[in-house]
Amino acid sequence: MRYVLRRLGFFALTLWAALTLNFFLPRFMPGNPLQALRARTHGKVSPEALQQMLTSYGFKPHQNVVSQYFAYLGNMFTGHWGVSIGATLGQPVRQIIGQALPWTLGLVGVATVLAFLLGSLIGVLAGWRRGGMLDSVLPPVFVVTSALPYFWVGLLLILVFSVWTHGWLPSDFNYDTSLQPGLSPGFVGSVLQHAVLPGATILITAIGAWILTMRNNMLTTLAEDYVRMARAKGLPDRRIMFDYAARNAMLPNLAGFAMSLGFVITGSILVEYVFNYPGLGYELYNAVQNTDYPLMQALFMLFTVAVLLALLICEFAIAVLDPRSRARA
Amino acid sequence: MKSDNGRDVDMRAAKAVVAVLATGLLVAACSSTKHRSQNTGQASTPSTQATSGGSSTHKAGGALTIVNVQGQTWSCQFNPFNPANFQESLGFVYEPLVYVNLLENQTETPMLASSYTWGPDKKSITFNIRSGVKWNDGQPFSAQDVAFTFNLMKRVPATDLYSLWTGAGLQSVTATGNQVSMQFDKTAQPYFWYFANLVGIVPQHIWSTGNAAVHPETFADPHPVGTGPYKVSPCSPNNIQYVANPYFWQPGKPYIQKVQYPGYLDNGPANLDLANGKGEWGSQFIPNIHQFYLSKSSDNHTWSPPVLNVAIFPNLDPSHAATSKLGVRQAISYALDRNQISQIGEDGQEPAANQSGVVMPTFQKYYDANALAAAGYDKQNLDKAKSALASAGYSPSNPLKLTIITITGYTDWDASLAVVKQQLKKVGIDLTVQDLAQQTFLSRLYNGDFDLAYYNQPSGGPTPYYELRNSLYSKNTAPIGKAASTNYERYRNPAVDALFDQYPSADDAGQVSIVKQIGAAMVKDVPIIPVTEAVDWFQYNTKDIAGWPTEQDQYAQPAAFNVPDVEQVLLHLYSLSAQ
Repeated sequence: MRYVLRRLGFFALTLWAALTLNFFLPRFMPGNPLQALRARTHGKVSPEALQQMLTSYGFKPHQNVVSQYFAYLGNMFTGHWGVSIGATLGQPVRQIIGQALPWTLGLVGVATVLAFLLGSLIGVLAGWRRGGMLDSVLPPVFVVTSALPYFWVGLLLILVFSVWTHGWLPSDFNYDTSLQPGLSPGFVGSVLQHAVLPGATILITAIGAWILTMRNNMLTTLAEDYVRMARAKGLPDRRIMFDYAARNAMLPNLAGFAMSLGFVITGSILVEYVFNYPGLGYELYNAVQNTDYPLMQALFMLFTVAVLLALLICEFAIAVLDPRSRARA
Repeated sequence: MKSDNGRDVDMRAAKAVVAVLATGLLVAACSSTKHRSQNTGQASTPSTQATSGGSSTHKAGGALTIVNVQGQTWSCQFNPFNPANFQESLGFVYEPLVYVNLLENQTETPMLASSYTWGPDKKSITFNIRSGVKWNDGQPFSAQDVAFTFNLMKRVPATDLYSLWTGAGLQSVTATGNQVSMQFDKTAQPYFWYFANLVGIVPQHIWSTGNAAVHPETFADPHPVGTGPYKVSPCSPNNIQYVANPYFWQPGKPYIQKVQYPGYLDNGPANLDLANGKGEWGSQFIPNIHQFYLSKSSDNHTWSPPVLNVAIFPNLDPSHAATSKLGVRQAISYALDRNQISQIGEDGQEPAANQSGVVMPTFQKYYDANALAAAGYDKQNLDKAKSALASAGYSPSNPLKLTIITITGYTDWDASLAVVKQQLKKVGIDLTVQDLAQQTFLSRLYNGDFDLAYYNQPSGGPTPYYELRNSLYSKNTAPIGKAASTNYERYRNPAVDALFDQYPSADDAGQVSIVKQIGAAMVKDVPIIPVTEAVDWFQYNTKDIAGWPTEQDQYAQPAAFNVPDVEQVLLHLYSLSAQ
């Protein structure tokens, strides 16, 4: 119980610190929303009108910083995230996030889980047959691919599967923009088709790390006494591989997986950029570009909460799975 | 990455060549040489407008996709007073009173006003409002709506985007019958461009009730009701679909029944879709355009008319010892081979500029080639550059080192500056290029924290007066450390200010002469150093869509981000397969 309370207390403290940073950091950035809007409107519109427009949308830079800060903290928890004062001036932040979140969760989330599952499986198999065919081909290949930059892989895939093949797979957007969203087979098919290339990009670049760590963990675990014991007992290979070795080898990777799940909602800025995929990562980039404080604050808050929550759940999970962590606590 | 589009230039320009336009609309509506005086014709009715051209009518049908990078997902708000998204509503849904074409010497096309008359000294103006126009919800449009729109801008200053009530001196707007008259406290001629051409008229019956009446500046306007050729149906964060407005006042128009406007986040995907023929109407920079776009299909074309200057802004404040010396600025300007910079840095897509600051060939009428040649600025002149530098006290033993700031990600500007650096080296100036994030760059530019800055004035107007006034008028500047609105180099010259003050009340010939005198001051004082000319990026595909603006028929500014020009283009386009 004390363990749980201590973890929760730590969670609350970290959250507060992160939220405070979220408030102050954007305001230390060069530029301000008025300047960004002036640039966006090509200086055509009078600065006075823009200033008044921003004030109408709730941008009040001359208010007392302390009261702004407390109002901000309150709003973060009550979900009053305000309206965008950047590129999408006037659009409620909740609407922007609500529209982008499902796409990011769907694309980056599924790709991350797939990368973890596939990577771990390959790692287990490669570690089990150390020096075998699988082990000598896959890990080196994927170590190389995981070192490639996201956008470069994305551009390469577009070139091969979209440009050279004359539009075999779509290279941009999350679905065919001429379709109306709905549960029709055509729309769902379009969504899946549009997810192939960006999903593959994430998979290709993310899977290598899982393969490598899993393989190495497997090698260490396979040298443990309990594995030797299992072999001596004459247990079937499959059982030793998954129930004895893989299960233990997986533990150190769980924290990493939890982290990467938390980072899912930050999207994958470069992938979303290259594939014109309207997810949260892109919204974050745009918010920073346009000094859109309300959108930036809400996004950073969500990211922080997601990562912290993922870590918290992971720690509890490890406590359940691994008795040693409880004892130490 | 999207910055190439970020500096897409959407201000207007004019061309001296006045073409006889193919469409009856313009022929019936305006005489191309009398663009500034009152329209002499009777208020023409919509039917004569559409049919008078005879051969230019087309069958309706077909669809069009616009590939213009706005760098955002659509907010699906169409409030024409919201500067962040009026590019998606003005021209499509909302219409101005009169369309003014910069590319053809301010040729006018009457839109919601069928004609107008200036009062004495151009301090007042009376518009005859077109009859028979309906809003896209079927309600009749009237002069009341026009007066309502302008008075709304008075009531809620945040909607007065062009400072008509504060800066332009608008005093009152009243509707009587089918006429709307505006009173100003000074000559309003230079503001015509803003109040007649840029303000979209909104319906009183929508904007006088509910949230739209209380907060017109923040009203979302998700289902905009306007008089324009299209209405929104439907909008998603990815795509805006416009469909033809059945109530549109020009019979048979628009020809194109559906317009798709996908929200492109970056130039890369957009340019790829243009090259693949997924979209027809492009409006951003395509690097290496011959290989990447034009060679892909014989239906792919480009024509990007120059509208503004991309210039080196030297800091003229005495605290900047080197750049405040005339000799240094002259040396830089003489040392530049602008054609080489245009070819290498801009892929030849942005032409070379000239020291007079008059954008060519767009503003031919205001260009003084002789003055430029007399001062030696008609070509690169290394000898003059060296002697100018020597006169400022610099020599090989006392070399001049300067830093120029520019914006990170504007790769074409970086390429141009690399050429500038080489050229300046030949006369003994050591230039360092410093790339800054856009926000940092703008802060330093506005506050005067630079020696040299590479930038283009983001907006101009229908004559060179507008851009030059932004750059040179002393009321647009501020002391170092305070944000200057548009005169970033801190140029103050009472004689030039006087020229700007005389311009509004001058007649046509007088205005041309004033602009030439301002051009002469540019040559004499070298307050800024134009290098290349920023253009209106435009690529178009003629496989199924015809009627595009071309170099021979410059009926509107061609880029899709130009409001309200976009409406003129949309009204000219038609589908070949539907004929």
